[in-house]
Amino acid sequence: MSSPVPSQAKTLQRLYLALFLRGRGARGLRKDQAPRSIAQKLWGTIALYVMVGMMALTFVGQGSFLLSFYLHGSTLLFLGMFIATSAGEILFNKDEAEILLHRPIEPRTLLWAKVTVLMRVSLWIACAFNLAGAIAGSVTAKGAPFFAPVHFVSICISALFCAGSVVLLYQLCLRWFGRERLDNLMTTAQVLLAVVIVVASQMVPHLVLGMKGRMDPLVGKPWLSLLPPAWFASLDEVLLGRGNTTHFMMAGIGVLVTATVLILAFGRMARAYEEGLQTLAESRPRAPHKESQPGKRRLLDRLTSAPPLVWLLRDPVTRASFRLCAAYLLRDRDMKLRLYPGMAPMLVMPAMFMFQGMKDHSGAPWGVALAAGYLGMIPMMAMTMLQFSQHWQAADLYRLAPVTGPGPFIHGAIRAVTILLALPAMLLLVSVTCLFPNGFEKLLLILPGVIAMPFFAMVPGALEKCVPLAKPTEEAKSASRGGMIFLLMIVSMIVPALATGAQMVNLLPHFLLLETSVVIAACWLLKLLIDRKQWDPLE
Amino acid sequence: MISIQRLTKQFGPQTAVDALSLEIPAGQIVGLLGPNGAGKSTTLKMLTGLLIPTSGTATICGHDLLKEPMEVKRNVGFVPDSGAVFESLTGLEYLEMVAALYGIPPESARERIRQFIAFFDLSFETLTDKLLGAYSKGMRRKVVITAALLHNPPVVFFDEPLDGLDANAAVGFKALIQTLAREGKAIVYSSHILDVVERVCDRVIIIDKGKLLVDGAPAELVAAHRAKSLEQLFTSLTGGHDLEQKAEDFAKTFRP
Repeated sequence: MSSPVPSQAKTLQRLYLALFLRGRGARGLRKDQAPRSIAQKLWGTIALYVMVGMMALTFVGQGSFLLSFYLHGSTLLFLGMFIATSAGEILFNKDEAEILLHRPIEPRTLLWAKVTVLMRVSLWIACAFNLAGAIAGSVTAKGAPFFAPVHFVSICISALFCAGSVVLLYQLCLRWFGRERLDNLMTTAQVLLAVVIVVASQMVPHLVLGMKGRMDPLVGKPWLSLLPPAWFASLDEVLLGRGNTTHFMMAGIGVLVTATVLILAFGRMARAYEEGLQTLAESRPRAPHKESQPGKRRLLDRLTSAPPLVWLLRDPVTRASFRLCAAYLLRDRDMKLRLYPGMAPMLVMPAMFMFQGMKDHSGAPWGVALAAGYLGMIPMMAMTMLQFSQHWQAADLYRLAPVTGPGPFIHGAIRAVTILLALPAMLLLVSVTCLFPNGFEKLLLILPGVIAMPFFAMVPGALEKCVPLAKPTEEAKSASRGGMIFLLMIVSMIVPALATGAQMVNLLPHFLLLETSVVIAACWLLKLLIDRKQWDPLE
Repeated sequence: MISIQRLTKQFGPQTAVDALSLEIPAGQIVGLLGPNGAGKSTTLKMLTGLLIPTSGTATICGHDLLKEPMEVKRNVGFVPDSGAVFESLTGLEYLEMVAALYGIPPESARERIRQFIAFFDLSFETLTDKLLGAYSKGMRRKVVITAALLHNPPVVFFDEPLDGLDANAAVGFKALIQTLAREGKAIVYSSHILDVVERVCDRVIIIDKGKLLVDGAPAELVAAHRAKSLEQLFTSLTGGHDLEQKAEDFAKTFRP
């Protein structure tokens, strides 16, 4: 008797789960070694979420609604971030068109298979994060015995809402703006989504703190009905049998909105999804711009051949590396999808610091100092991301060239991220600071961040050997890297904190002098380390 | 078997394929030739559902490309020039995945895969243990060709299928497509290797800038245009003038 043929949906789901766990590219790997690279990191990520989820234990005395509101709010943020960063690669993968689009697969089946895998991994993360809170909600005095299973149901619905919303956003971009600008739009949509999520992540703790100790946290706050965490927390109350009229209404809104989003994303607009994939399959020639003249040099070429860049890029290999990195930072879709959403927190956090600093009536300029310290980290963050590319195998070219080690390539990448990303952000910070009351007086506090910037920019190249575009993108999915960045963010705040302290005791010039000396010495050491790097063997 | 009616594809202001019309019966191997950017790959991508035509249509095995795309896809096998595969699957996982997408039962799929790997001299251990990302270009190409033929389609499109294959595999492959054509399959073979096309194909179509230039049996076309060979006919039709002189001038630039 022959085994039944697995359905297309199941086959595709198995495929996408394997691709997610193993990554899409591989060189010299055997099957038994492959899953380790990504799956182990996934376990690390899940363990991290379990630990972060223990923060929910601080809400157990506040009743099930507030606990649920916090859990749903945080879960939606984590999932939103995860789905937004993964969706680009999973939903619209360029190579996939030639493998699958000529096979008899309905676009809806393809879309569902991808979303099911996204959902499955999202639920692993959501369950890990909610584990501590759900158990606490079931066993504590103000909780309910069935809180855990009920909360699991509502988490599943909110994960569906989250995945559906991201897919719908992509589909709407496709429909409203046409297929021509799909690549840029997807990137922009994803970056905007990441920024919104980061801003929201700053708001949730404030909201929850504002509701603490209230008998009914929803009373007098009708705008809360607009927030998805309130819908799903209300659903928990209704399913636990504790719901009042407001809870019933908001739970209804949650279920209705989720159903509408799903119908629109996976039902009515699935056709637009196929068109999107077909657009990616087109290797169309770029339409010539009216004003462009044949043979005219690009802006990037003109910039690198004029001062001050021509002085900074005297070494031809460093200059070539700078231009390569600049082109990828500005043009490559995959790079933009990974880099800019990843950088969004780096850009939003300084804005939050500035805002908090403004609210501080003492007039303390710590907001400016912290913002500059934080922005100083941009090159480091960008360097760690710039080493990954879908075209990593093309980096073999570096080894073919008569260059003894990766040093010049790393130096080119450092200059590219500093000049193209960090410098504009710093100029923006200076402009915004000048607009503040007594802004010019606070400008001096930007200097500690600026001075530390070259040090942070060189750290990844010296310690981790971040050769630009030389590693497969799936290696970017690492929980340990997130932990390292978190640690360095803390470190980045030490310098501004010391500078603020020095200013209070009128020792800021001395501090700046000392910092400059330390940074020069450290940079000299890091440069030496980078220059002495040798190529690793290919396997 | 394949009927193309005024098939057109435009990318913005540029016309990649311009009102192409053709009839390809069963059992024929048709060589599709043209210089880079002539519209060969775009034509194949439209016929396999990878791209939507701007206007015109085609029927494959009686199914309209626009009205019954799934039926068309069931009857078509395609080897794209990119040779793209999911690199983190093993060869066997990839082929079994493709078989499942066409509704082929696992046992039949495994049997067919064994036949193909025997034909292509691949070892079963390589297919089960090694990820596709670790395959050589030729081995990967063999897997892609196997994937295109697994469901036994009546129409097969090959876009540069010999790219990466060693001489033995290439000879075997040419014999294979001739056998497949004798068994009634319609085969469209797009390539830049003119002598292979001349030897293997019953009919040659040369297109340039999306337009059909000539269509006929290779020997008849060469005779009708009073050319010495298919290569000379191709270069004269597609603007490849003074190539030897250009090469000589270019080589001179390397002299110290």
